Amino acid sequence: MKRLLRLPSLLRLTLVFLIALVFQNCSEQKIKESTDETLNITGYIRENPNYSMFLKILDLTNSASFMNTYGTYTLFLPTNDAVKQYLTDVGATSLSDVPLKDLQDIVKLHILDKKISTTEFTDGKIAVPSLYGQYLITGAANINGVSSATINKTSNVLTSNLVVGNGVIHVIDKVLRVADKTLAQTIEANPNLSLFTEVLKATGWYAKLNQPVTYDANNVGSHLTVLAQTNAVFEAAGLGTLDKIKTRYSKPIAPATTSDPTNAKDSLNLFVQYHVLPRLNYMADVVSSSVLETAAPLEVISSKLDGEKILLNHDIFNGVQEEGVKVVRNVSDVTCSNGVLHYVDGNFSIKKRNPMPVYFDLCDQPEFANDLVNYRKTTTSFRLGPVFNGITWTGNQTAAYGPIWKPTTGAFNGDLFDVFRFRDGSGGTTNFEFTTPVIIKGRYKIWVSYYYIDTKSSSSTKVYFDGVETSRIINARQKPNDADSDKVIESQGYKRYIFPFVSGDRLFSRLVGIVDVTTTGRHKIKFYSTSAGTGGSGDHVDMWDMVEFRPVDMDQIWPKFKKGFPSTITGSNLVQRADVKTDNGPN
Amino acid sequence: MQTKIKTILAIFILFVSASSCDNYLDLRPQDGIVRDEFWKTKEDIQAAVIGIYSSLLSSPPGVSDNFTMTEYLFMYGELRGGMLAEGLNVTEDQRDIMNSNIIASNEVTSWAAFYRTINYCNTVIDLAPAVKNEDPTLTDTQLKHFLSEALAIRAYLYFTLARTFKDVPLKLKATLSDAENFQIPTSTQSEIFTQVIKDLKLADEYAVENYGSAASNKGRITTYAINAMLADVYLWTEDYQGALDATKKLTDSGKFALIETSSSTWFNTVFAKGNSTESVFEFQYTTSNLGPFYNIFSLRPQFKGGALLMDQVFGIDSNNAENRDIRGDFASLISATGEIYKFTGLNNFEKKTLQEADTHWFVYRYADVLLMQAEALTRLGGQVNGQAALDIIADIRSKRRAISQTAKTITATATNKDDIIDYILAERARELAFEGKRWYDVLRVARANNYERKQLLIDLAVATAPVNQQQSIIAKIKDPNSHYLPINANELYTNKALVQNPFYK
Repeated sequence: MKRLLRLPSLLRLTLVFLIALVFQNCSEQKIKESTDETLNITGYIRENPNYSMFLKILDLTNSASFMNTYGTYTLFLPTNDAVKQYLTDVGATSLSDVPLKDLQDIVKLHILDKKISTTEFTDGKIAVPSLYGQYLITGAANINGVSSATINKTSNVLTSNLVVGNGVIHVIDKVLRVADKTLAQTIEANPNLSLFTEVLKATGWYAKLNQPVTYDANNVGSHLTVLAQTNAVFEAAGLGTLDKIKTRYSKPIAPATTSDPTNAKDSLNLFVQYHVLPRLNYMADVVSSSVLETAAPLEVISSKLDGEKILLNHDIFNGVQEEGVKVVRNVSDVTCSNGVLHYVDGNFSIKKRNPMPVYFDLCDQPEFANDLVNYRKTTTSFRLGPVFNGITWTGNQTAAYGPIWKPTTGAFNGDLFDVFRFRDGSGGTTNFEFTTPVIIKGRYKIWVSYYYIDTKSSSSTKVYFDGVETSRIINARQKPNDADSDKVIESQGYKRYIFPFVSGDRLFSRLVGIVDVTTTGRHKIKFYSTSAGTGGSGDHVDMWDMVEFRPVDMDQIWPKFKKGFPSTITGSNLVQRADVKTDNGPN
Repeated sequence: MQTKIKTILAIFILFVSASSCDNYLDLRPQDGIVRDEFWKTKEDIQAAVIGIYSSLLSSPPGVSDNFTMTEYLFMYGELRGGMLAEGLNVTEDQRDIMNSNIIASNEVTSWAAFYRTINYCNTVIDLAPAVKNEDPTLTDTQLKHFLSEALAIRAYLYFTLARTFKDVPLKLKATLSDAENFQIPTSTQSEIFTQVIKDLKLADEYAVENYGSAASNKGRITTYAINAMLADVYLWTEDYQGALDATKKLTDSGKFALIETSSSTWFNTVFAKGNSTESVFEFQYTTSNLGPFYNIFSLRPQFKGGALLMDQVFGIDSNNAENRDIRGDFASLISATGEIYKFTGLNNFEKKTLQEADTHWFVYRYADVLLMQAEALTRLGGQVNGQAALDIIADIRSKRRAISQTAKTITATATNKDDIIDYILAERARELAFEGKRWYDVLRVARANNYERKQLLIDLAVATAPVNQQQSIIAKIKDPNSHYLPINANELYTNKALVQNPFYK
């Protein structure tokens, strides 16, 4: 020690300094190891005592850790009061009394594996199903002057859009219940539908509506939509008993036989078939499409939104307005385990249908629509490989050569179907075959609208309808003269289908031929380019907007179409001749 | 040796301590003036007041708002008004508001720009009176003039906030230091309106009648601008006599008139040039300080006129294309493309170039005041008042060459108030298209008399809603709280005293 003290002062100072340094180094330094303190879904629920009962459900079903993993989820989170109410409803005193299977189903029903904020809510189903497989329906309700978003009609959203690390949470005031009744059971359970139930049983449809959902190879479910008529509706139509209905509809198929409603060709059976739509069609889906396919072969129902009313089969035929039947919106959208149930307030049955125009936007593809962020919302185009159910092509099948969804302000629905390297040569893609929407049987003119580019684009695109070549080709390097009137260019096989047309616009429609559609249903239309390869600069020169099938006796020019994304358009996206009082460009 | 080290050390210490007296340790900013050096002369007050105006035109240097004040005023008044369609460059947040799909994180709901300017006004109101002690040349009248400008602008901004957000925090003192309490809870809409009226009345007492030049008379607050604001507030608070009296101060002054001239000259005078006899108060954009309009309507259009606007609002005479409302095609919009033209056009034929696109923002125009007067008269009731209102509409229509397709034949009786009000609303849509008024007009009429005419808002929603959201939107509109925007999520985060509008929970 003495020696130590005897050290020169400078050395002593250094020593003290070093010792200080060493001690300092020994103290634990706190280093923040995480970059983000945002809680994940389970973490959030754990922090918040209001949701302790749902947390217990998650723990019981072993889902708690799953909901804490990274991902993009949406959770509909019931409060403790909601869970207590659920327990009372199922007659259990505590969560452990509820069968584990039920709890698992409940948990799955409350989770979606995509992030859906309230801005995505519509009047119908959420685009992605819950993990349980059933779709949840959204809406809004006004109770005592206070409005809130609703889920499955009964649960009000209390707090919405809580963003957490792995998704978004919406707090709801009622546990969502799995629809465990089939369509048949739901219909039978409603005393107002007793007559409809009898009709279903008499025709053998009760059993068909009682089947659980099955999924085919493409994972498409066998869901059905039923448009039910209450006893009062039958009564009003003078069909108050099953016998009356049978007398009215069920007729022997062949002479000298008795009528048999269970036969699929019996008109009472057809009456029921006409009330059943394949697939899930919630109200928002019904209003979004103008023609609904039914279970009755080749028969369709038209739908129309008039103000707030949804009218079915409300059509003008030969200048006569046929009164349609109204869908009862407030009680419809009843989710069942194998479909959805709606109510209509009038008796309706199959009508002899005349051909109706079909306006087929080639970008109306569910695979495109899966891009929730961009599709018909942003100006970002995107491309998909051979994933389409309704489109096939030959040539390069990689995703890098697939068709492109191309937003274009001037086009119908604001988008064009952009074909990459549309040519027969190497590296090209050709023979694009589309499945059309339902076309009612009859004689039609086919108009294909294309984007005019005077170089590089395909100068000879052949069109095939159901495999038969049409009479004319499309030459995308040619267009009608802007100064000519609509009538003149129609005689040349062209038209301007977008309204308003501004001189210099590049979208035109070409009459490719007249076809006889022999069955009501979906058909195939194919485009085949015989142009040779045109090099790299010919990559994005062939774009199509839509295919119009117009009955031959209909006005071929009007109605025209409005341009822009559907969300930018108010009212109908068609412009009728009578609506247009100005002359926009030559007519 | 030791003495040498000591000497060096001493010199060093001396050097350090001496130099620390130098002003390089001074904390005063080099690129600005601190408060105790400002507020010395009347020129300082003038500079501060002009600063308020320029903060209305564009964000001050160093501040990046998402939008300028003018854009906010445009969007708050038009997004939900049913007269707009989306342009190609519309943002998702803007579209969500147009579709009544609003959440608190929507960037359009940020009110920072408003409160910044309100603070500028507060600063003038708090600190200007003390300048009298420093600068003897500042007269009482001059001081009052400055105060009147700051009071009126603050009142207008609070009025706009209360119409847009309903309940908002009311801060009437300048924020001068960080020690202040920023956690201010909201005051109710009616409290805000009461304060606004109080401020405007005081401002009117102090107000200037004439600055001596057209640009100042239309670009700065005059007694007429204050009374136009007052009339507007009174219509919201349903004090129709007050509104009528306020509008009369303008109509009786003889300083304003509707210009009757050829369509192209009218458009050029009133909109392209601005500061006309039809104008009451305008934001004075210049070629060296351009407005945002050319960008958002023309170059990268965020908005367009609705598709059926020409048909449903301005009307079209299918027999005679020359017979047209001068406010329609090539005035409010270009009907063929839907492009909004009011703020970018030079005359009926030519658009301004980007460099010269200095069209002003029109806060109040005389036609607006006349229509407010008509509304007040109608609300006061009686056959005579009703007829007077109809006469005002007829006068505007004849000067604007409104076509017979949009005319309504109404005979004023004691009971047909609603018919006349509807006519006024339709006329306001034609006259004030895209001037940031539409949503407020419909909301004001709908909410009057305890939401007697809520149906107007529902009809507006039905006409503009996307088909697959129509029912939800109608259900939302039935809740009066949904008529106001949510408090932005950022504000809720920073100010814990705020309570979100219950509709947006």
